[in-house]
Amino acid sequence: MGNKKTIIYKEPERSIVIKFSMVACLLVMSIIVKCQVETLTIICNSNGAPATMKFTELRSVMKGERQRWNSGAKVVIALMKTSTTVGKNTAQVIYNMSGDALLKYWLGQTYQGNAHAPKFFNTKSELEEYVAENPGAIGVIDPPPANNEVKIVSVDGKTQFIL
Amino acid sequence: MVFSLKSRIWLTVFSIVVMFTFFTLFYFPAQQRKLLLKNYNTEVQNLANTVALGVNIALTEQNFEGIETAMKFVKDDSRLQFVSMVEYDTVWGNDHHNFQVKKTMLKTFPKNQHPAPNIQSNNSIIVKRGMFNTAVMSGDILLAFTTKEIIESQRKIRITSLIVSGIVLLIGILFGLLLARKVSVPVLALRDAANRVGDGDLSQKVKIKSGDEIGQLGKAFNNMVADLLKARVALDENNQALSASNARLNNTLRELKSAQVQLIQSEKMASLGELTAGIAHEIQNPLNFVNNFSELNTELIDEMKIELDAGNNKEAISIAENIKDNQDKITHHGKRADAIVKGMLHHSRSSTGQKELTDINALADEYLRLSYHGLRAKDKAFNSNFKTNFDKSLSSENGKINIISQDIGRVLLNLYNNAFYSVMEKSKVPHSDSNRAPKGEVDYEPTVSVSTKKINNNVEIKIKDNGMGISKKVIDKMYQPFFTTKPTGQGTGLGLSLSYDIIKSHGGEIKIETKEGEYAEFIIELPC
Repeated sequence: MGNKKTIIYKEPERSIVIKFSMVACLLVMSIIVKCQVETLTIICNSNGAPATMKFTELRSVMKGERQRWNSGAKVVIALMKTSTTVGKNTAQVIYNMSGDALLKYWLGQTYQGNAHAPKFFNTKSELEEYVAENPGAIGVIDPPPANNEVKIVSVDGKTQFIL
Repeated sequence: MVFSLKSRIWLTVFSIVVMFTFFTLFYFPAQQRKLLLKNYNTEVQNLANTVALGVNIALTEQNFEGIETAMKFVKDDSRLQFVSMVEYDTVWGNDHHNFQVKKTMLKTFPKNQHPAPNIQSNNSIIVKRGMFNTAVMSGDILLAFTTKEIIESQRKIRITSLIVSGIVLLIGILFGLLLARKVSVPVLALRDAANRVGDGDLSQKVKIKSGDEIGQLGKAFNNMVADLLKARVALDENNQALSASNARLNNTLRELKSAQVQLIQSEKMASLGELTAGIAHEIQNPLNFVNNFSELNTELIDEMKIELDAGNNKEAISIAENIKDNQDKITHHGKRADAIVKGMLHHSRSSTGQKELTDINALADEYLRLSYHGLRAKDKAFNSNFKTNFDKSLSSENGKINIISQDIGRVLLNLYNNAFYSVMEKSKVPHSDSNRAPKGEVDYEPTVSVSTKKINNNVEIKIKDNGMGISKKVIDKMYQPFFTTKPTGQGTGLGLSLSYDIIKSHGGEIKIETKEGEYAEFIIELPC
């Protein structure tokens, strides 16, 4: 017992520094990660969705309440799966729901035949590619978009949603 | 109750058709309804399972294409009543030891339907459940389809069954009638033809329209009738031949009978001739007396005239007495001749066929003499002794027997003639012939003996000669008509035959005892 006290006692300053440093690193890293994930960008096919939208308008489109663009193109929604962070964030930010609730919501919509369910993807690239290839498609990703064929929709004057 | 063949066939076919109709009308539709219901249930269940699977995929894979496709498929189905999603929630109790499953009707399409979560199938709908169970939620898909289509299908099946049953029944009845007709018509035709053949009409033929058993039967029947016809034609020909033969035989028989009558008549005439000869001899004798005494009387009358003229009355009286004696003798012999003629007349009369009491001894004696003298008249060389030994009791009034005397007389005459013929034949045989004239008979005396005797209720008449005797071969045939051992022209061969028949008709017997070359004895037995 006496030996242990002695050892703890011998290195108090260096241990506190190390711990502090590690906590600081973790805080920095978590801030960095948080800054990266909690940013969402709305992308769309070059044909269909307008370049700018209001959030209410966006929510209406994303919930399937509006199914045609002004151009007449059919609204096609592309989302990341709710098992992904972007997907969860999308459910929370855009739909104001949990992931499961989002799924149940779309299940209900599909069941009733009110709207076509979104297309859910596992990866960002797949989603971007799908949006680029389908006129009227609109999707939610974490910025920046890697595919040049999609365009970013500005919502309420902003190109990104920061949670 | 007897059913005709046609009725039986028709009833059989009708029964089969009715049974088949029953199956078509009731059993098959019932089976079809069951199958339809089963398939419908399976289909609805599969759709419910598909929708549930789509929900599963949507919630686990976040792929809604499946549920969209399944729902589109279900919604487009006109039979859909509703499709509901029921969510199960587990609600724990306050102590967290017990829980309840709470069923919440989450979504229903169409929206105007509000079924209870525990709704079950009934007559108007079929409800099937498809379970889904994911991390997001678990529950059932309730899929309800209307049964209108099934009911409509069942109605169509019933109508179809009714129509098919009617058609089957109609076809069956027509087929039954056709079959009954096809089978019964030829059979009835066969029956009618067989009846007509049975009535003797062999021109019957049945028309053969088929090569089956009935056709073969008809062919066999036709062959049989043809054979019968041939047999009948042959039979008719044989009958005609037989008729012709019969006609010829009848003709021959008539001729034979005529010849027999003629022969019998000849036999009678021969007998009559012999009788006549005997009678003539019998008459000749008294007539000789009558003639001689008449001539003598004539001479005596002449002598008496001379004596009277001479005045010798005594002499004349003496001659007159002689004349009277002679006249008595003439009268006596005239009466004798009269008796003979009467006897001849008696014999010459046709037989009345009536039996009468007869002195058999007198009859036998009379015919013996007639026979003897008849033969003597015909043949002067003939000579024979004859002996009689009559039972005198038969000559008494009580001894007479009841016979047709003419017929029995003919029998006796025939036997006497044969006996005299035999002894005469034997007397003609040279004595050196040791075979025909045994030693000791060199001094042969032909003898015919007749005896009568009453034995019990019978009269026995024996006619025996010591002539040639009769061989065994002749004995076997001597009673046959027209059999004779005499030379042609001397015998008709009917004597013994007629004698046999006459004795038999009197209820008597005629027997022969003989030894060839020594004697022959006919024994007649007649009932008294």
